[in-house]
Amino acid sequence: MSVQQSSRRQGGGYLERPAPSGLADVIEIILDKGIVIDAYVRVSLVGIEILTIDARIVIASVDTYLRFAEATNRLDLVEHGGGKPLDEFIGSMQESGATKKVGGAVKGAKKALSPGSSDDDEGRRPARKSSSRRRSEEQ
Amino acid sequence: MTTVRTDDVVDTDRGFFVYGVVDSATGRVPDGLTGVEDTPVSVVARGPVAAVVGEIDLDRTTGRRADLVAYSTVLDRLASAGAVAPVQFGSVMVDEESIVEELLAPNEQYFAQLLADLAGRAQFNLRVGFHEPVVLAEVVAADPEIRRLHEYTRDLPEDAAYADRVRLGELVARAMEDKRELEVEALLDSILPLTVAYSLRSGAGIEHVLDVALLVDDDRRPEFEEHLEGLAEAVHERLRLRLVGPVAPYDFVGGEAWA
Repeated sequence: MSVQQSSRRQGGGYLERPAPSGLADVIEIILDKGIVIDAYVRVSLVGIEILTIDARIVIASVDTYLRFAEATNRLDLVEHGGGKPLDEFIGSMQESGATKKVGGAVKGAKKALSPGSSDDDEGRRPARKSSSRRRSEEQ
Repeated sequence: MTTVRTDDVVDTDRGFFVYGVVDSATGRVPDGLTGVEDTPVSVVARGPVAAVVGEIDLDRTTGRRADLVAYSTVLDRLASAGAVAPVQFGSVMVDEESIVEELLAPNEQYFAQLLADLAGRAQFNLRVGFHEPVVLAEVVAADPEIRRLHEYTRDLPEDAAYADRVRLGELVARAMEDKRELEVEALLDSILPLTVAYSLRSGAGIEHVLDVALLVDDDRRPEFEEHLEGLAEAVHERLRLRLVGPVAPYDFVGGEAWA
């Protein structure tokens, strides 16, 4: 079994099966996932705040509303044949969607990965009890 | 600019990046596997469970992009060789003794059970989005107020009728959210019977219909993939499905029991 080969395989065409390759893909997958080790038994790396990309969180906001309004109105231009070709239109929609999503993911990762910005208190007390530890105590 | 350490630890410039936890008896690190800083990946075992680690320099400050990619590469390689429970990115411990005493020993039972639950299974991430041109057209057609605002604002310059544009977008967003809830239920009903567990991810919301991690038995994987292929075709006029995986089971290692 090979993860790489499987993830590259293309199926019947309607299901998109991208092989995660770029940084954004990796961040999206790992985000703040995984077993959390208590802060007082681990070391914090210097400079773990990885990225300072302009992060936009995807929430209901005026910007989001304006995007939908714009998308709705551009849609009409396409239908009337007065606007961009359809595939160019779809391409720009996907592009703007991807940009927003990456921004949100990076923000999430940054928050999860920066010990200094949480209530970590320089790692000398547990910022968050690990789920594993919690489970052990219940047993 | 300090490296935070526990008080009772000897001062050292090297530490161990912890990638994940595997079964001592069956877990194997692929030959020649290297991780963060290109250092070899090895195991520190204690009883039935072992931590997969690699030495790193504690004072390093650069290379974050490469580190993230190295981390996920190591975990995916491990996952393709057997059960692995990923440890959160950036977890570093000072020496083998602390790995054994602080990580493995106190959590031995939990890790062993977790690895047993993960054995023979893999994670897939499914993200579903609306095909917006079609769904937006539905929204406009279905709501007279949206249609009125749309017809009023569409031929005006972009900086005109700001309040009406915001109002239009808000109504469209709400209408799509209502549609989203209906779609999510139908999608999960269709997919979950082929999975062991699922975990909703944070990516869903206004921009995505569904963002979910799915845990799938290896022997049902062909059936699962075929089903999603068929589903994607059946809904392709309105929805777009994107499946990533198999990946290491990042979303199924903590919190509530799922197996």
